[in-house]
Parts: sequence; C-alpha cells; structure tokens
Amino acid sequence: MVQTKLFALGRLAAGAGLCLASAAAWAHFPIGHCKALDETTVQCKGGFSDGSNAPGLTLDVISYDEKILLSNKLDKNSTVTFKRPPGQFYILFDAGAGHVVEIDHTEIDS
Amino acid sequence: MSKVIAARTERTASKAPASGVALKWKRWRFYLSALVLIAPLAYLPEYFEDLALSRGDAGLGQREVGEFAVGPWSVRLAEWQIAPPEREGLAGYVKLFTLAQCQECIGHIKAIYLRVGEPRSLRTAGSLFSGSPYRQMAEVLIPERTGPDDEMWLTLEGWDGAVHQARVPLSEASPSTVQWLQQRKGRP
Repeated sequence: MVQTKLFALGRLAAGAGLCLASAAAWAHFPIGHCKALDETTVQCKGGFSDGSNAPGLTLDVISYDEKILLSNKLDKNSTVTFKRPPGQFYILFDAGAGHVVEIDHTEIDS
Repeated sequence: MSKVIAARTERTASKAPASGVALKWKRWRFYLSALVLIAPLAYLPEYFEDLALSRGDAGLGQREVGEFAVGPWSVRLAEWQIAPPEREGLAGYVKLFTLAQCQECIGHIKAIYLRVGEPRSLRTAGSLFSGSPYRQMAEVLIPERTGPDDEMWLTLEGWDGAVHQARVPLSEASPSTVQWLQQRKGRP
C-alpha cells in the first residue's frame, strides 16, 4: 500500500518535473558578449539564454556597408578570438533566421 | 452469529473516545476539503479568457494594434497580452506579438520579421514569426537601450525575393511596453 502511494507520488513529481522542464525549453534566445583582450584582439563568447553554450555557431564580423570582413565559428568553449578590423563594424552571432545577436563595435567591452 | 456480534460490540467499546482536538480537526478537515474544491472556481473566468485567447476566439491577441500596409501586402498586428515584457533568461526582456496575413497575401510571403529599431540587413531583421498565416507569433527582444520613442520595424520577405518594410511606433504597438520602459528608466 505504502509502495503504491510512493509510486504515485513519484509519478506526480516526475510529471511536474517534465512540465517545468518543458516550460524551460519553450524558448531560448541566442546571446553574445565581446570584450577587447588588447588593442588589436577581440574575444567573443556566445550561447543561449538558458545558459547553454553554442559551439559551431556562426559569428560574422561585418562592416557598416555590409561586407563580411571575417567569418568564424564558435569553438568548443563557445568563444572565438579575432583581430579587430579597422573602421566601423558590427559582430553578428547567427543561430539561424530570426535568431541573431548584433554587437556594435562601440559595444565591445574594453 | 451471536459470537460475531459480541466481538464487534467489544471492539467498539474498546475504542477510546475521540478527544476535542480530534473532533475539531475532523470537522475542519471537512471544511478544508470543501474549500479546496471551491477555491479553483475563482480562477475560472481567467481560465476561460486564456482558453478563448489560445483558441483564437478572442481575436489575434488581447490588444489588436491595427492593420498595416507593407509594400503590396498588409498584415494585422496584435499584442498577445496587455502586459510588460517578460524576462527571457540571459537574453533580456521579450514581448510576444501576433500577426495575421491578409487573405490575398497568403502563399506569397516567405518570412515576416519584427524588431525594435531599423534593421541593418535582412539577416538582422529581428524575430521571425512562426505559425499559420492566420495567426503567427514572434517573441521580440526589447533591447536595454530601447526608448519610449523608438519604432518597431516589420520586414516582409516574399517568395519572389522582394523585401518590404513598415514602421510602427512602439507607443502604438505596445503602450504597456512604453509604460514599463518609463517606469524602469535608469535601471539596468
């Protein structure tokens, strides 16, 4: 009898856990952050809003006139390091259509 | 037979009389059970409102923004809920919008995007609407730097490659978001 009750409680807890997990998995947005390691080098880290990493995610460095200056993929640590191009540019984390993050060159942390 | 009756009488007699606390608890347990059954009734109106909204019986969303001409097409835009943006983990705050394509547009539009501020390119056109052409949804990121006077940009991409855009003031698209922005002014 006690075992049956425990089993029912266990099922209830598992169900609640799955519901919560599905709510957490409802949506996640790409996120990105870039900082200047020195005057010529920039390091960017990308991932998703649920805290997960995104190795292999495309990161493009694009000039204001829409020329792709550099195209990289995030490494296994979800980071990428590149030489800072001259002029005005922005960094684009691209996780697919509608799932992008833009970071302007003025928003790179020093 | 008489033995059985005698045994039952003996068992009943051996039971200790219930204490006052136990009696009270029994009575209040009954009231508590009734309360547990009745309490959810208070949430019924909200439940039916949510149900009507998700079924589409209450329209596109809690607040329809209006119909907007975008190039040769037009779309109806709505706020899913009259509420401030919601926190979406590390990404920041997002706001859910819904949209319906005009009857003649269906089949001609490849993708619809929405964002705060002018997009630099099609890649940065914002959140992509998903769902049937009669009701598509998109969660739009409200960036930290967003101001109450900012505009939302709708970008429609056709199957023929044509791209058309329209601007909607944020104050028109979501007054609740503007109110929220004004309240949190200066806060990170």
